[in-house]
Amino acid sequence: MITFEGAAKTYPDGTVAVASLDLTVESGGTTVFVGPSGSGKTTSLRMINRMVEPTAGTIRVDGADIREQDPAQLRRSIGYVIQQAGLFPHRTVLDNIATVPLLLGWRRTKARARAAELMELVGLEPAQAKRYPHQLSGGQQQRVGVARALAADPPILLMDEPFSAVDPVVRTSLQDELIRLQQELNKTIVFVTHDIDEAVRLGDRIAVFRPGGELAQYDSPKRLLAEPVDAFVESFIGYDRGVRRLSFFPASGLSLREDVVFDDEDRVERAKDVVAGDAEPWALVVDADRMPRGWVSAAQLDRAPTGVPLGSLDLAPYGHTFDVAVDSLRAALDAAVLSPAGRAVGVDDEGRVVGVVSQDDLGSAIWSVSE
Amino acid sequence: MIAADGGNWAVGAWEWAVRVTDWGVANWSYPGEPNRGIWPRLLEHMRLAYLSILIGLAVAVPLGLACARWRGVYPPVLTGVNVLYAVPSIALFFLMLPYTGFSDWTAIIPLSLYTLVILLPNVVDGLRQVPDHVRQAAVAIGYSPLRRLVTVEMPVAVPVIIAGLRVASVATISMVSVASLVGLGGLGQLILSDGFRRQFDAPIVVGIVLVVLLAFVTDALLVIAQYLLTPWTRGNGRPGGGRRARARRGATAPTGAPAGAPGAAPANPSPATAGE
Repeated sequence: MITFEGAAKTYPDGTVAVASLDLTVESGGTTVFVGPSGSGKTTSLRMINRMVEPTAGTIRVDGADIREQDPAQLRRSIGYVIQQAGLFPHRTVLDNIATVPLLLGWRRTKARARAAELMELVGLEPAQAKRYPHQLSGGQQQRVGVARALAADPPILLMDEPFSAVDPVVRTSLQDELIRLQQELNKTIVFVTHDIDEAVRLGDRIAVFRPGGELAQYDSPKRLLAEPVDAFVESFIGYDRGVRRLSFFPASGLSLREDVVFDDEDRVERAKDVVAGDAEPWALVVDADRMPRGWVSAAQLDRAPTGVPLGSLDLAPYGHTFDVAVDSLRAALDAAVLSPAGRAVGVDDEGRVVGVVSQDDLGSAIWSVSE
Repeated sequence: MIAADGGNWAVGAWEWAVRVTDWGVANWSYPGEPNRGIWPRLLEHMRLAYLSILIGLAVAVPLGLACARWRGVYPPVLTGVNVLYAVPSIALFFLMLPYTGFSDWTAIIPLSLYTLVILLPNVVDGLRQVPDHVRQAAVAIGYSPLRRLVTVEMPVAVPVIIAGLRVASVATISMVSVASLVGLGGLGQLILSDGFRRQFDAPIVVGIVLVVLLAFVTDALLVIAQYLLTPWTRGNGRPGGGRRARARRGATAPTGAPAGAPGAAPANPSPATAGE
């Protein structure tokens, strides 16, 4: 548990980096400090391992005042991941990862064995052990940075905008990797970012900082998106917070319709019984394995000669689907919006159609969670 | 005729070269007289040059570390070193005479001071071009300031320091000759005493050739030393990978690979407390 008690940082020139921070970071789980530039989020993070000394207040780690510990000793017990990885260019990947164990006085063979374990944990190939940092891609370097921070198995991991210097695709994969690692290790992670999407994705708790170094709101991501405390937080979260909030609600609660789903061997007149006019304008056609094939409109059914199988008609693409078991309302809404029929196709884990949901039905589901 | 003229010129040059070489071989060393001949002069030259460079390096490294750590120290120290370099070497050798007499120190002390003008800026630039995120990571990981300087920042600065050492070595090897004016100077004595005073070109030529050779060999040794000391500046360990790897590093400079060139713009390190 990390507690800030009135912690503040004022520089000699009068700049206030952190005004007066009272905050408790519970053990386990990921706490994200998020805010625009100059909001004191990085300064607050760096106060935890004494890279920045507070000018007022106290910071405790598990009840102990950090000022009573030697800074270098304290830092060896807290993992730290920096933007651009900060790898030592003159050391191999393996020796970079073994740095903290060696500082703690481990024997070299033991430290290297531990480093090799960590390479596997963060998804690096053993062949990369003998490489130097400049021979790795940005994403690989950041994996080494995470492995180095975890090498001595510290209970706390501080991450200072670790993924902001890599491209969006790599960033997403690093975020996924961190979520997986955290499920396995359950460290107390404090993560700094200026990206609210990253915060919502990774955080169990989010602390939003405002310019001038004040804490604006400290809440779970779900509550933060539902109830921003003031105009600043609301504008920082962004205009589509309502839609983003839907990612916290499962799509499994939606009632899916099966009566508008037809086999591609079925005759046109069978679909016409259900699908007609403006009331029910679309039918979904699936193959024998219930894999989706495409949409057919009521107008097409009207024009088609009787006796023709649905599969022979010109089908509109079904777009992308959502997985009923694991996806959120947000994914279902996205699928509906992008579908030419305005309806989302719900599938099971194997991609077989479970049913379809219209925007109207989605709307009432969204309405009910907003209550 | 052109051919005949050319032939005459070539024959003349050949005969001259043979005469110079014969003189060199004949005067290489004298059994029973260890201080006479060319070989003892060469040894003396190496002794004066190498000791000066080593002492200069031994001073430049701690001084550079101090300048990198306390930023205010550097400008006055650099100005001092530069002013010292402006003093003509002959004057400095003669100034030393009353204190050190005809010992090696009369040459070594001024020459060591001269190396500082090249070595000190290289040590400081080498330390300053350590990327800020590398320095901060070292702090955050739990290095004490001294240990960080010695085990992280110094090794990363090595390519820039060796680049300075190469320039300083060649300059010093050349400048040792001037010390022959005060009776030291290794191969310089061949040039000044044997050659210039006796109006005899063979010793001058032998002296020049040996000085150039010594400088060349020393430079080559430093290049090899850098290759062995900094495996991390090479490519993927493939032969011939170095040049490509350097080009690639240049292209991905923001990821923090150090530049190997002495002229590389030093990254402007901001204090670790700079917040966001």
